[in-house]
Amino acid sequence: MKELFPMKQILGFVFSLLLTVIALAVYFLDMSFSTGMTILLATAFIQAAVQLVVFMHAGETKDKGAIYTNVYYGVFIALATVFGTLLTMIWGYN
Amino acid sequence: MKIDHSLPLEYSTEENRLKILGFWIFLGAEIMLFGTLFASYFTLVDRIGSGPSGKEIFEITPVLIETIVLLTSSFTIGLGVHAMRIGRKKAMMSFFVITLLLGLVFLGVEIFEFIHYVHIGAGLQTSAFTAILLSTLGTHGLHVTFGLFWGLFILLQVKKRGLTPETANKSFIFSLYWHFLDVVWIFIFSFVYLKGMM
Amino acid sequence: MDFFDRFAIPHPSLAIYASMVAIVLTVIAIVVGLTYFKKWGYLWREWLTTVDHKRIGIMYLISALLMLFRGGVDALMMRAQLAVPENTLLDAQHYNEVFTTHGVVMILFMAMPFIMALMNFVVPLQIGARDVAFPRLNALSFWLFFFGAMLFNISFVVGGSPDAGWTSYFPLAGNEFSTSVGTNYYMIAIQIAGIGTLMTGINFITTILKMRAPGMTLMKMPMFTWSSLIANVIIVFAFPVLTVALAMGTLDRLFGTHFFTTNNGGMDMLWANLFWVWGHPEVYILILPAFGIYSEVISTFARRNLYGYKSMVASMVIISLLSFLVWVHHFFTMGQGALTNSIFSITTMAIAVPTGVKIFNWLFTLYKGKIEITTPMLYALLFIPLFTIGGVTGVMLGMSAADYQYHNTMFLVAHFHMVIIPGVVFAMLAGLTYYWPKMFGFMLNERIGKITAWTIGISTLVAFMPMFFTGLDGQARRMYTYSESTGFGPLNMVSFVGAIGLAIGFILLVYNVYYSIRYASRDISADPWDARTLEWATHSPVPEYNFAIVPHVKSEEALWDAKKKRHILFQGNYEKIHMPNNSGVPFIMGSIFFIWGFALVFSLWPLAIIATIGILACMAHRSMEIDHGRYISVKEIEETETKLRGAK
Repeated sequence: MKELFPMKQILGFVFSLLLTVIALAVYFLDMSFSTGMTILLATAFIQAAVQLVVFMHAGETKDKGAIYTNVYYGVFIALATVFGTLLTMIWGYN
Repeated sequence: MKIDHSLPLEYSTEENRLKILGFWIFLGAEIMLFGTLFASYFTLVDRIGSGPSGKEIFEITPVLIETIVLLTSSFTIGLGVHAMRIGRKKAMMSFFVITLLLGLVFLGVEIFEFIHYVHIGAGLQTSAFTAILLSTLGTHGLHVTFGLFWGLFILLQVKKRGLTPETANKSFIFSLYWHFLDVVWIFIFSFVYLKGMM
Repeated sequence: MDFFDRFAIPHPSLAIYASMVAIVLTVIAIVVGLTYFKKWGYLWREWLTTVDHKRIGIMYLISALLMLFRGGVDALMMRAQLAVPENTLLDAQHYNEVFTTHGVVMILFMAMPFIMALMNFVVPLQIGARDVAFPRLNALSFWLFFFGAMLFNISFVVGGSPDAGWTSYFPLAGNEFSTSVGTNYYMIAIQIAGIGTLMTGINFITTILKMRAPGMTLMKMPMFTWSSLIANVIIVFAFPVLTVALAMGTLDRLFGTHFFTTNNGGMDMLWANLFWVWGHPEVYILILPAFGIYSEVISTFARRNLYGYKSMVASMVIISLLSFLVWVHHFFTMGQGALTNSIFSITTMAIAVPTGVKIFNWLFTLYKGKIEITTPMLYALLFIPLFTIGGVTGVMLGMSAADYQYHNTMFLVAHFHMVIIPGVVFAMLAGLTYYWPKMFGFMLNERIGKITAWTIGISTLVAFMPMFFTGLDGQARRMYTYSESTGFGPLNMVSFVGAIGLAIGFILLVYNVYYSIRYASRDISADPWDARTLEWATHSPVPEYNFAIVPHVKSEEALWDAKKKRHILFQGNYEKIHMPNNSGVPFIMGSIFFIWGFALVFSLWPLAIIATIGILACMAHRSMEIDHGRYISVKEIEETETKLRGAK
């Protein structure tokens, strides 16, 4: 039975629950918008990284380079799109 | 078909390795798909017209259930892949079944949530905000729905054909998909719900 | 009868009725012809179910050429309408429909498949692979593109054409101002074709990253393969944006949501924003493979290795990132303020730098080269000056303050035609001529080819240079007519003459194909151009398995070094070759997508649901299917090789 529950994955799961709890502080505690967003950004991206490395085994083969490039590239373009859109659609008008 | 026994089953043939890399690239496209939805969401979030705002309609309980359920399912499918790698077909299938059941719970809660939204006057046609909210959640929900059927088909194949390079490969790719949906949910949880309720 | 009323055309004319008759007659002719010559089985077995990248490439090519003529007729109609002031050849509504379909067809259903055609045919050969990574998916990509294109093309005879411009800006494209189903066609047909394109992107990245011949490191890949890799990376990250935008537009039109409306919080400008987040990278998806073709052609016919290989690669990588950071320059006048415009103005000018690097690399390749002017080379040489005109006017447009003057005038129209025609169309024609012998085993006539190239080159200048001037004088784009007092008349007449010249050029191209089929020698070598890369190391036409023995590569110009430095490409004996099986599922799935799209266009919900189930059933079938492919035996390979060698 024990071999079915590797330590790495259990720790990963506990850690992701922990991150969720930290993120929830934004809801339960009173804080400024910028503090809240900082917490959310940190927890969300760490959480994503945990999934990627611990559960999705992104780095286990020699295609590692291609896989990480792909993910970084996607994240970069997605962030550029999100912030560029905000700049164009909202902030530019203020 | 040349089988390389030094690697886990899902990587053991050239075709399998191609499929796994191809699927990762597909996930890159998915990052962009949800990235665009988020870009639109942030643009439209305050444009509520005469409808309700997020703060007025979001409730923490169903969201927390959905989050915990999906996180757990991501954990169990990870265990499923681990069981597959040590050749434990039965254990692997059980973990996959648990994953799919958790997915079903998630979907049930989400459908309940949607009905609730429509009920309190936050339907698809109410405002730009409700439209993008339901579309973003709906796109994720449709992915989960699709995943439930896909997972079911893979389970049937594993049951019938055992752990072969093909079925192991399909199961592994499915697990990538499922983890990715969890990642997307984390962003929805953080930047749609928590940010909205802050 | 009420049910059928919806399929009527809202704004009919003699030309549309005539095309209806023509379409019906063509379909009957094809059906009768296939039946009479008993070719149904052949068509199904050899083409509709094929997963061979070469045949899929050829099918893309045929579609692209067909669409070129469809879009070309649209162009001629527009130029004829504008040739003289206050012309009444087309009315405002028809003019709207014509410029809309012209844009969509030319960009998405002509230029894209043309590039897909060359990529499909050439990339696996250039990297020494037997096929793409996912042959079945490749077939599905093609059929989705094809049925998407067909769905779009039936719009003008069933229900009405889209008429809100190829950009379909909201609120014009919303239900309020576009009441016919035309814009539904736009949303759904492009969606279907776009999904196909996305899958091609995934397929080719995987192919190029994982299936190169032994020894071919990334930095030893031929330039066309590099450009295809980068273009496909852009596809993978740009097309999902279009998917989302089109889905939101569809929801607005079919389900009454308020994404892009002007009430209940909707934001019409978001459509323009999302459209160009995809739209600008799309420009580079088109131009990069075209640059790849030029690189191949120029180094082959200058008889030199490409100057600055590393800087070529680096500039493309930079372009792939920058192409996602410039989109706002398509709508500087929308009002987002000076800061935003300045940022995007700077990124826009920055992207001209890597493009300039490439131009100089080609010039340095030509410098001291032993230039041989063949038809492909002629296109490449015409490209450099003409494209530069398009490029520098692009930098003018990129300056946001100045853009207020040029925006939405014929100056812009002239600019992007001077970029796309020399940049993409010339490259495709060069590629077509260059790879023709590899595809079909005979060469296109050089004399007719050169006359064609000159005709098209000069006509491009004649057709589009005048628009720069009328644009600066204030002639707006998308206006169906103008008064005589504007003084635009003579220059527009010149443009019309240029348009006719272009038409003659493309007819000459078709004549060349006909002439060469009849008269060209079939006795050509595998390497008729004395070229430098791997695709010329196998027979013409290429056998199903591409290479009997997988080549071993030592340098970036594998074949050239095999010829000059005695590198040995093919070592060892024949071994049995694993090949994928043909499948009818991609074609069937494409057809169901067509029905699905049609049902959505007309809001025929029961049919849409049935079609959706059909699509899912195809996917379920694929999931459960066991298909291990098949083997070509050593004996078969020997027979094929002997036969092809004899044919040389």
